[in-house]
Amino acid sequence: METQVLIIGGGTTGTGIARDLSLRGISCILIDKKDINAGASGANHGLLHSGARYILKDSETAVECRQESLLLKHLAPKCMEDTGGLFVALPEDDDAYIARFPELCRKYGIVCKSVDASQALQMEPCLAPDLKAVFSVQDAVVDPFRLSLDNAADAQKNGARILRNSQVEGFISHNGRIQAARVRDTRTGDTFHIGALQFVNATGAWADKVAAMAGAHISMLYSKGSLLITQSRINTRVINRLRPASDADILVPGGTVSIIGTTSVEIDNLDDIRPTMDEVDTIIRQGSVMVPELATTRYIRAYAGVRPLVKNGSEKGRTISRNYTLKNHEADGLENFVTITGGKLTTYRLMAEKTADIVAGRLKNTTPCETAQLPLPPSRKGEWTEPGRSPRAWTARPRPKDTLICECEMVSESMVDRIVDTLLTEGSTPTLEEVGRRSRIGKGPCQGTFCSFRLAAYLYRTGKLDKKQGFFQVREFVNERWKGFMPLVRDRELARLEMQEAFLCGLFNMEVDP
Amino acid sequence: MRPVQYGSGSVNPKPLHTGLAVVGSGMAGMAAAICAYNRGISFVQVGQASELAFSSGCLDLFSILPGRFPKGFEDPFAGIDVLAKKKPHHPYSRLTHAMIRDAFAEFTGFMGSAGICFHGPEQNGQNSLKNQHIITPAGTLKPTWQVPAAMHAGSLAIARNQRICIVDIKGLKGFGARQMAQTLQPLLSSVTAATIAFPGRETAGDLMCERLAWDLENPKILAQFIGLLKPHAGRVDVLGLPAILGMYRFEKLRRTLEQALKKPVFEIPTLSPSVTGMRMKEAFLGKMTDLGLLHFPVAVSEIFPDKNGFVFFVTQGLQTMEVRADHLVLATGRFMGKGLGVRDEQIKEMLFDLPVAQPETRSGWLRSNFFAPAGHPVNQAGIETDDCFRPLDAAGSVFHPRLYAAGSILAHQDWKREKSGSGIAIASAFKAVSSIAENTPARSG
Repeated sequence: METQVLIIGGGTTGTGIARDLSLRGISCILIDKKDINAGASGANHGLLHSGARYILKDSETAVECRQESLLLKHLAPKCMEDTGGLFVALPEDDDAYIARFPELCRKYGIVCKSVDASQALQMEPCLAPDLKAVFSVQDAVVDPFRLSLDNAADAQKNGARILRNSQVEGFISHNGRIQAARVRDTRTGDTFHIGALQFVNATGAWADKVAAMAGAHISMLYSKGSLLITQSRINTRVINRLRPASDADILVPGGTVSIIGTTSVEIDNLDDIRPTMDEVDTIIRQGSVMVPELATTRYIRAYAGVRPLVKNGSEKGRTISRNYTLKNHEADGLENFVTITGGKLTTYRLMAEKTADIVAGRLKNTTPCETAQLPLPPSRKGEWTEPGRSPRAWTARPRPKDTLICECEMVSESMVDRIVDTLLTEGSTPTLEEVGRRSRIGKGPCQGTFCSFRLAAYLYRTGKLDKKQGFFQVREFVNERWKGFMPLVRDRELARLEMQEAFLCGLFNMEVDP
Repeated sequence: MRPVQYGSGSVNPKPLHTGLAVVGSGMAGMAAAICAYNRGISFVQVGQASELAFSSGCLDLFSILPGRFPKGFEDPFAGIDVLAKKKPHHPYSRLTHAMIRDAFAEFTGFMGSAGICFHGPEQNGQNSLKNQHIITPAGTLKPTWQVPAAMHAGSLAIARNQRICIVDIKGLKGFGARQMAQTLQPLLSSVTAATIAFPGRETAGDLMCERLAWDLENPKILAQFIGLLKPHAGRVDVLGLPAILGMYRFEKLRRTLEQALKKPVFEIPTLSPSVTGMRMKEAFLGKMTDLGLLHFPVAVSEIFPDKNGFVFFVTQGLQTMEVRADHLVLATGRFMGKGLGVRDEQIKEMLFDLPVAQPETRSGWLRSNFFAPAGHPVNQAGIETDDCFRPLDAAGSVFHPRLYAAGSILAHQDWKREKSGSGIAIASAFKAVSSIAENTPARSG
C-alpha cells in the first residue's frame, strides 16, 4: 500500500487532518488501531468551548477556542447544538476569581454577560438556589462522533482511505527518512506495510509510544477524566462552575441526556482505561453541589478518556497547558514525521490545519487550507450518533416491517444496514462494537443485554458475521458496556445485573469459551 | 406488633391459620409448595412469580465450579462432592445425593401431573448420569439436568451427534438460526439453518413468541406452518424451532408436528419472555387451583414474627386477609425478586432484615470483566443458615425456630455460573419443608 501521507490515529484530529489534506489534493491513508473516535475523541464532554474556561491560565487556548467555536458553529451546524452556556458561582467560590472573570473575558474578546441569579434559576431550574454570580457565555454542544465521522466521510469523498483495526507496529527507515509503517490488522493478525512520503502521528495519549517507534522522544503525562451520563436531559445550556478547574464542574446537555464531569486522575498505564466507583462517587458528590438533582437522578453509564498532556517542565495534572503540541521532529533527526497531540476538541480544526500546513509544505503543495471556509458536509456515516435521533426518525415514519433491533433507542434493521454500508468502505468487516459506536445500540437502559444478541443475529442472517465471530463480539460488546455500568452499580442496578447475568451466563453459558 | 394501615379496603375479621406460609413463587417457592402438598402440610403461597417468565424451562443441577480456573463436571454429583469439600457453606453441602435425587423426583413428578414432563439423563439409555445439553440462541451448548419433553429431542440429537436443522422465523428478533448454526458448527458435525415466514404474519417486523404460541393452537395456522417446515425436514434427523409450539396443548401440538414431518422436533428457549417459562408457571398455578390450594399472586412487604409463628396480611382487590402461619419458607429470591436489596451500600434481606453474608464494601461486589470465570463476589452474598436451612442471626444462632429459607437467596452459591439455580431451589426447599413436616402432625386429605 502506497500513499503520500499516512495519518495514524482516527480521532477528531486525525480525521480533521485527513479531510484537510485531501481537500488540498494530497492523497492519504488514515489508520486507527481500533476505530474512529475509539479513544479520547469519543470520551469527552462534547463541549464546544467559548474560551471562557481558559481565560485565567491559558489565554492562548481561550482565544483559539473563541475563534474556532464561532467558525465551527457556522461550518458544521449539523454537529452542533448551539445551547449557550452559563458560568455559575456558589457561596463557597472565590470572590477574587469571580471579579476577574468578566474583565478577562472582555480582554480576550469572549462574549460574557452578567445574569441575575433569579433569572438564571428560571433559565436553568436545576441549578442550586444559592447562586452568588452568574454569567452567560457562548458555549455550545458538539457531537464528537458525528464530527469525526463527517470529517472522515468528506476525506473519503476527496480520495482518502480509511482503515480501522490497523495498528502501527513499527517504522522502516533509511537515512533519517521513514519509508513505510509496519501495520497489523488487529482482527485478522495479518501484517502489511504502508509506504508514504510523510507520516502524521495523531494518536492522542499514545503519541509518545508511536513517536518512540519512529525514534523520537516525547515526555507525556496521562490524565484520565471520567464522566457520567444521566438518564434524561436536565439542563438546556452548558453549565460551568465558576472556579478554577476542578472535579465535576461542567454539566453538558446533549440530545436527550446530560453529561457531568470530569475528574483528573494521573495514570501510568493506558491498557485499561475505565471509570472507577470512587470517581463516580466524587463526580456525583461534587456535581450535586452545583446541580442538586445530580445526587438523586439515575445514570445510564460512566466513561473515561485520557487527556494527553505534554510535559515541558515540572508542571503537574491540571496545571499543564491544555493547548496542543505540534512537533516537526526535525530536532530528532526525522524529516518526514510530525506529531500533533493534546489540545481541545474545540480547536481540532486549527490543529489539523497547522499540521497539514507542515506536511503540505514538505510535499511542496501550495494549495491553501480550505477548512476555514468550506462547510463540513453531513454524511451517512454520522447520521445515527445523536441521542434521540433514531427514536425521532422512527416515530416520524414508523415502518412496521423494519424490525427494531434496539428497542431502548429505537434502532431498526434499515438503520443498521446504512451504518454497515459505511463501515464496509473502511476496510475490515464491521463488528458489533463498531455498529454500536455509530448508533445508539446498547446505550439505552438494557445496555446491550438484548440488542447485542439481536444485532448479532441480524448480522449473521445478512451474512456479515460467520463462525464464532458473533459469540466473541457479543462478549466484547457486553464488556465494553459493563466498563461504563459497573462503577454505577448501587442498588437497583443489581437487579439489572442479575437479569443480564441470568441470560448471558445462566442460560447462554457465555462465560465459557465455546 | 406495629399497627398496620390500610387503604380503602376492608380487613377480613377472621384470620387464616395455616401450617406453612411459602413466601415467593419462583422455582424455590413452587418446590416448597409441592413438598408441603405431598406431606399434607396446610399452606398458603404468596408471590408474583414474575421471574419464571425468564426461565428456560430446564432444571439445572450443577455443572461448573467457578474460580480463576473453573472446573467443569459432566457428572453433577461428582461435581457436588468436590464443591462440598471446597465450600462447606454452599447450600449443596447441606444436602446428600439422595435428598437431591428425591427432591427432583418429587418436583418432576408433580410437574408431570400438571402436564410438564421432564426427561432426566437416566432416561437416555446411558449408564452414567451425565448432564444433558441444550442449544441456546447464542449458539452455545448449555449443560442441564432435566429437560422438558419439548426440548428432549434436541438433547438426544446432541448426544448422538445427529443432523440438526434449526429454523428461525422472519421478524422474531434475537433468534438467529444461522447464528446458532455457525457458532455450533465446530461442536456438532451437522447443523444447518433455515428461515421461514410465519403464516399470516409474513410481513410483521416484530413478532412475540407468546403471540406465535397462541397462533399455533389454531389448527389452520398449524397446518400452514407444517407445510412451510416440510422442505427443511428432508435431509436431517431432527428439527429445532424457537419455543413457540403452543401455550397449553403443547404436547399434542408437537406430536402433530412430528407425525406430519416424520422427524423429531425440539424447542430452543428464547429471550424473555420465554414460552417455556410461562408454560411452567401456568401448569403449576393451574394444578394448584385444581387441588384447591391457596396461592395469592401478590407481594408481601411486611411479616411479623412472634413466638407462635408469623403474621402477615395479603390484599386482593379490596379484601385484606390476615394470615397466621406456624412456619414460613422464605423463597423471595435475590435482587430481581426483591428478596435482597441495598441500603447505605449494604446488602439487606428485605422482610426480616436477616444478616446477609456479603463483601465488606461495595467496591468488592463486582469484577471488571463481566464474564470473569470466578464470578462476581456479590453473587455469593445471601442468607446464612443451619443445616436445615434455618436463617441465622448476627450471633450465629437460629433467627427463629420456624423460619426457613430456600433458593437463590441462600449465601455462598453462584447459580448463574454453577448452572445450579433449579437444583438449589428444589433441593433446599425439599429439605426445609421436610424438616417442617417432622415438626408438624400430618393432616388427613
